[in-house]
Amino acid sequence: MSLRAEALTLGYRDRAIIEALDLDLPRGGMTTILGPNGCGKSTLLRALARLIKPRGGRVTLDGRDIHALPSRGLAREMAILPQSPLAPDGITVGDLVKRGRTPWRGFLAPWNDEDADACADALAAVGLSDLADRPLQELSGGQRQRAWIALVLAQRTPLLLLDEPTTYLDLVHQLEVLSLLRQRNRDTGLTVISVLHDLNLAARFSDHLVLLGPDGIVATGSPQNVLHPDRLMQAFGLRAQVMPDPVTGSPMVIPL
Amino acid sequence: MRRGIFLSLMLIASILVALMVGQVDIGVADLWQGLITGEGPGALLLGTIRGPRVATAVGAGAVLGLSGAIFQTLFRNPLAAPDIMGFTAGAGLAVVAAIAMGLALPMPLVASLGGLVAAVLVALFSWRRDAATPPLTLILVGLGVGFAASALTTFLMTFLPTVAAGEAQRWMTGSLAARDWGHVAQVWGLGVILGLLTLGQVQSLTVLELGADLAAGLGLNVERARWGLAGTGVLLAAVGVAVAGPIPFVALMAGPFSSRFTGARTLGGRLAAAAAAGALITVLGDLAARAAVPGIQLPVGVMTGLIGAPYLLWRLSREMERGEL
Repeated sequence: MSLRAEALTLGYRDRAIIEALDLDLPRGGMTTILGPNGCGKSTLLRALARLIKPRGGRVTLDGRDIHALPSRGLAREMAILPQSPLAPDGITVGDLVKRGRTPWRGFLAPWNDEDADACADALAAVGLSDLADRPLQELSGGQRQRAWIALVLAQRTPLLLLDEPTTYLDLVHQLEVLSLLRQRNRDTGLTVISVLHDLNLAARFSDHLVLLGPDGIVATGSPQNVLHPDRLMQAFGLRAQVMPDPVTGSPMVIPL
Repeated sequence: MRRGIFLSLMLIASILVALMVGQVDIGVADLWQGLITGEGPGALLLGTIRGPRVATAVGAGAVLGLSGAIFQTLFRNPLAAPDIMGFTAGAGLAVVAAIAMGLALPMPLVASLGGLVAAVLVALFSWRRDAATPPLTLILVGLGVGFAASALTTFLMTFLPTVAAGEAQRWMTGSLAARDWGHVAQVWGLGVILGLLTLGQVQSLTVLELGADLAAGLGLNVERARWGLAGTGVLLAAVGVAVAGPIPFVALMAGPFSSRFTGARTLGGRLAAAAAAGALITVLGDLAARAAVPGIQLPVGVMTGLIGAPYLLWRLSREMERGEL
C-alpha cells in the first residue's frame, strides 16, 4: 500500500506551483513535508488528499488514480484534516468526533458498536474522553485541535494527512499534538503525512522528510539525510548549521 | 427534546385559535361537532372558510421555514434565506408572468421554475473562477436579483386588468385569502415529497457544516451535495410561494428562532424545528392580520413583514458588530 505522486503538476490559472513532481510516500511511518512559504507544500498535500485536481500527472493509491476511486471508498482509506475546518455552532466534542464515522455509515443506519468503539478510542487517543460532553467552543486552542484530530482518527483510515496541524498552537501544545500522532503511529501503524513549519520539530517526529524548494523537491529521505546545510540553503535560502539534538539525537537546525 | 414538544404544542394551540377566531368567533365545542357530524357552523368554518386557509398556512410556513434553515446551514449565515436571496421574488415573478400571459400551468411548477432561474442567476453573477464565493457575496447578489424580480413583477402588473392587478398585488404581499383544499393538497403533497428529499440529504449537510475540505475528506461529493441541497431548498420555497405568495421573512426568521428556542442538537432536529417554527409564524401572522383591523382582512405578509423587518435590522446590526458585514 502506498501513496505516490507521478509527474504531478499543480497550479491555479496560468501559474504552475508544482511541476512534474514525482514522490513516493512510504507506508507506516511519519512523513513531513517542509518548505518555505509559497513553495506549494499545502497545495501538494491537498492534491494528495484529492481536494484539488492536478493539471497534469496523477496521484495513485496502490497503483490506482485517486480521482478514479469512489469518494466513500477513498474516505475509508485516507483521512484529511484541513488547516481550518469549521465548527458548527454549539457542537459538543463527542458529536464532532461522531462525524468522523460518516464514510462507514449507510443512509439512516443505526449507530453501531464499531462506530461507538471508534469514537471512544479516538477520544482516548487524544486524551479528551472526559470532555466529550463539553461544547467545542469552551475548549482551549490545544484541546480543540486534539478534538479535530479525534474526528479524523475516528474515521479509522490507514492513512492520515494533516495540513499544518500545529499552526496557532504554543510550543507545549505543538509537542502534545505531534506526540499523540507519533503514539498513534506506533500503536496502530497509522501512516501520518503532514505539513509543518518547524524544522526541528519535524526532524524529531518524522521518519521521512520531503523538503520542497521554490523549484520543486530538494531532497527526500530520513531527517539526517535531508537536513543538510546545503539543502537548507537551496530550499529556504537559509544559512544554517546542523548538529545532533543533545536530547534526542535528531538533527537540529541552528540558523546563522 | 422537551422544548421541541413545547414548540409543537404551541403550533397546535395556534392552529386551534386560528380556527376559532375571525369575523365570527366559534368555540371548541362547535368546531368539534362540525368535525364529527359534518354539519353546523363548525363544519362550514372547517370545511370551507378557515380550514383550508389554516392548513395552507401551516404547509406554506413549514416549507418556507425548512427552506430557510437549509440555506442558513449551507451558507453558514443567518442572513441566507430564500426571501433575502431573491428566490421567492423569482418564484413570484414567474407566477405573475404566467397570469399576465394567461398560461394555464400548475402554479407550483411555474413558481419552481422562477425560483430556480433566480438561483442560477445568483450563482452565475457570483461565480469566481478559482475561489469559493463567500456567502455574503451570494446574499448581496441575491438581494439584487430579488429587487430586479420585484421590479419586473410590478412592471408586468401594470398590464393586468385593474381587478386582476389588485389581486396580484395582494398575492405578491403574501396572502392566504380564498385558499381551497386544492391548495392544501398542493403544498402538503409537494411539501412531504421535498421534506423526504431533505431527509435523504441531512447526512450530507451535517458533513458540509464542517467545511468543504473536511466534507470531501469524509467521502462527500461536495459540489453535487451543494447543488442538491440548494435545489431542494429553492423548490421548497417555491412550493410555499405557489400557494401563499412570497410571504416575507418567514424563511429568514424560522431557523434562528427555532434553534434558539428548542436548542436542538442534531441537524435533523434543527430542520424539523425550523419547519414547525415557520408554520407557527405563518399561522400566527395570518391570525394577527385577520384580527388587527376589524372588518378588514390584511394579507399575512403585512404582519410577517412588520415582525420580520425589525428582526432583519437587528440581525444586520449584530452581524456588523461581529465584523461579518
